[in-house]
Amino acid sequence: MIEILERDQLAAHTADVPPKIDIRHVEFFYGKTQALKSVDLAVPANAVTAIIGPSGCGKSTLLRAINRIYELYPDQRATGEILIDGRNVLDRRYSLSALRRCVGMVFQKPTPFSTSIRNNVAFALSYFERLSRGELADRVEQALRQAALWDEVKDKLGDSALSLSGGQQQRLCIARTLAVRPEIILLDEPTSALDPISTARIEELIHELRRQFTIVIVTHNMQQAARVSQRTAFFHLGELIEVGDTTQIFTNPHVGRTQDYITGRYG
Amino acid sequence: MSTPPTAAPRSGAGADRAFELVTAGAAWLVLILLGSIAASMAWGGRLAFETFGWQFIVSREWDAVGGRFGALVPIYGTVVTSFLALLLAVPVSIGIALFLTDIAPRWMRGPIGIAIELLAAIPSIIYGMWGLFVFAPFMAAHVEPWLSEHLGPLPVIGALFVGPPIGIGMLTAGIVLGIMIIPFISTVARDVFNAVPPQLKEAAVALGSTRWEILSRVTLPYTRSAIIGAIFLGLGRALGETMAVTFVLGNAHDLSLSLLMPSNSIAAAIANEFTEADTELYRSSLIALALLLFLVTFLVLTAAKLMLMRIGRVQGRTH
Amino acid sequence: MPLRRKFADLLALGFAGAATVFGLTWLVWILWTTLVEGGAALSPVLFREMTPPPGESGGLLNAFYGSAVMVLLALLIGTPLGIAAGTYLAEHGRYSRLAATVGFINDILLSAPSIVIGLFAYELVVRPSGQFSGLAGALALAMILLPIVVRTTNESLRLVPNTMREAAFALGVPRWRVTARILYKSALAGIVTGVLLGLARIAGETAPLLFTALNNQFWSASLLEPLANVPVVIFQYAMSPYDQWHELAWAGALVLTAFVLGLNLLVRFFARGANK
Repeated sequence: MIEILERDQLAAHTADVPPKIDIRHVEFFYGKTQALKSVDLAVPANAVTAIIGPSGCGKSTLLRAINRIYELYPDQRATGEILIDGRNVLDRRYSLSALRRCVGMVFQKPTPFSTSIRNNVAFALSYFERLSRGELADRVEQALRQAALWDEVKDKLGDSALSLSGGQQQRLCIARTLAVRPEIILLDEPTSALDPISTARIEELIHELRRQFTIVIVTHNMQQAARVSQRTAFFHLGELIEVGDTTQIFTNPHVGRTQDYITGRYG
Repeated sequence: MSTPPTAAPRSGAGADRAFELVTAGAAWLVLILLGSIAASMAWGGRLAFETFGWQFIVSREWDAVGGRFGALVPIYGTVVTSFLALLLAVPVSIGIALFLTDIAPRWMRGPIGIAIELLAAIPSIIYGMWGLFVFAPFMAAHVEPWLSEHLGPLPVIGALFVGPPIGIGMLTAGIVLGIMIIPFISTVARDVFNAVPPQLKEAAVALGSTRWEILSRVTLPYTRSAIIGAIFLGLGRALGETMAVTFVLGNAHDLSLSLLMPSNSIAAAIANEFTEADTELYRSSLIALALLLFLVTFLVLTAAKLMLMRIGRVQGRTH
Repeated sequence: MPLRRKFADLLALGFAGAATVFGLTWLVWILWTTLVEGGAALSPVLFREMTPPPGESGGLLNAFYGSAVMVLLALLIGTPLGIAAGTYLAEHGRYSRLAATVGFINDILLSAPSIVIGLFAYELVVRPSGQFSGLAGALALAMILLPIVVRTTNESLRLVPNTMREAAFALGVPRWRVTARILYKSALAGIVTGVLLGLARIAGETAPLLFTALNNQFWSASLLEPLANVPVVIFQYAMSPYDQWHELAWAGALVLTAFVLGLNLLVRFFARGANK
């Protein structure tokens, strides 16, 4: 009940305030293949926006455009604008470093670095900020607490990150991202490689984090989208088909194709 | 962003560009190295080529005093010993590869595989010493008399087996060389045999094929390019091998048809004579030999690499 | 099944087994010979005295020293260059024509005749300086080591999954730092294996030293003079007519083989353990 009230309040809220992320006419190409066709999407601040759709519909592609991680691959490119707080981050002149500090990303497969738990979390932090040993330890603890991992690892920070379970590793990756205090967190199918218990814990985490951060989550699991998000965007074949409040999308979709997907007519 | 980072990143694009330059520079160094080697050999050999022209390649002469040099004997010796080496190594290597991938029980495969690879790790000078002090006398005492007695009188091929059984010669060198290159061919063969998609083999098994039939009708055709590549790789190594051959080939300057006679190889000639070469022309002739060796091995190894890359592409690897 | 097919199969299997025994027999024969002949001449004197004049007995101390110095210097030169080039190939491999070409050429250099490389070092260093030197020898060895380190670094870095790269870059850390602190750490085992195997290879190389470091009967600590080294000593002594020199050659051969094979086996077991 409280959940639904919150969602309704959010709906009223987002209508007046400018979006945190404003995606305008974004198109994406892998070589000659076009993966995203003229996407316009507004992502509100301090809320969870879910991106759903069948495989190959471009949802991960859109996510990877936001933090420009696709630039690792010379044959991939994006056109259009992505405004974060009003500034276009797709602009060549926009510092990648600053962008990725502000926009964190957690991937589908947990990828801890081959080093200690502590060093995993401190890695980016020690690059961006000059901190004393004490300050660094505090920030590491903070991040691990935020990721709901602190209690499980506080006695073994020096142990290899690879000794953690899958669910713990994913929370470590989240802690790693939180350590640099981003404003936006992108989650690319964060629980699809995890067991149901770890999945539930991470969904809880997302619910707690959304008050502080703007979260965009890509998921192929519709129930998950319904559980964690306030806004949902449905993609199909590279196009944004429909976007709206999660409740509305799942109970009363306006577009036929959305309805078909929700009801499972195609996956 | 609403709150920019409090401290700008300590180092960014500048350090990245420096790193890029250093690594790219090192990569260029590899190319430059190859080019420099070729250029250096060409430059050092120019006197010989200017003096003798194309005759250099077909001339049998090797007269240090009179200053007349020709590459035919070293080229001949190199080719013959390498050919003998392949004759020995190819069937043996494929047999070993078959054994290691299909026949040996699993617990045996690791240790035997490593043992075969150790053959490659043994420094070639050890091969040379063993060849000189142990194997050549063995050949002289037990094998060569038999060969010259039984095969010598035969028409045509008999000419290959005449001569005193001194042990030192093209046959011994060819055998030692062959043993040396076994591991190079067999490890590649083993790797590609293991890479044949199991479904192909399973389909053949389901049809009732014997192991030999699977090898000859499924595995070998599938891996043909790679096997040829492996053979070229072994050949490339054999052509350039110095120490194993220098000890047992004999450093002779005459061209002999018989395998029991000593001869010379390009690498052995250079190894034996370079420090004693007292005239510019002498040295230049030896460097000209080195250029020929380098060019031929380059071509052979390029062919090998192209063949080996093909099977990589078949499997969908990106490099 | 018709007898003919079964027979062919048995013949092939028999041949494969025989080929393996054949290959192993040579290995055993060569190692056994080295052990027996070298063992007979093995004694602590080997490590205490210098190489002797013809007809006298002595040791190989200056040869061991010279070899160690040149190999170490070659490692110092070749390893950083090799790692740098290998890094370029791994991180740019798919998209750069330079990387593809260098990778190809590098593999050719890997199998190039070492005597040609020795001659190149001669033309590069010995001829202009007018004398043979340990430095030229070390350079020749470095040129043989380089392609090995390039290739193993390249392969080891490629084994690091792209997801790890993306995760590191997504944090905003610049490329060089990601490579230095994350990628190298992941690939470390592979890179170290490559360097050690390269070390084993160049320790046993004779041909490149024949016209660079040459040999030195006496003690020499200077890299600017001919430097005694184990492989060339073995070569000269073995080819000589003196029995004492033959004995020393075998002793040196045994020590060299034990070192090279020992290092090889150590590296393989270490690599296996790391991969588990």
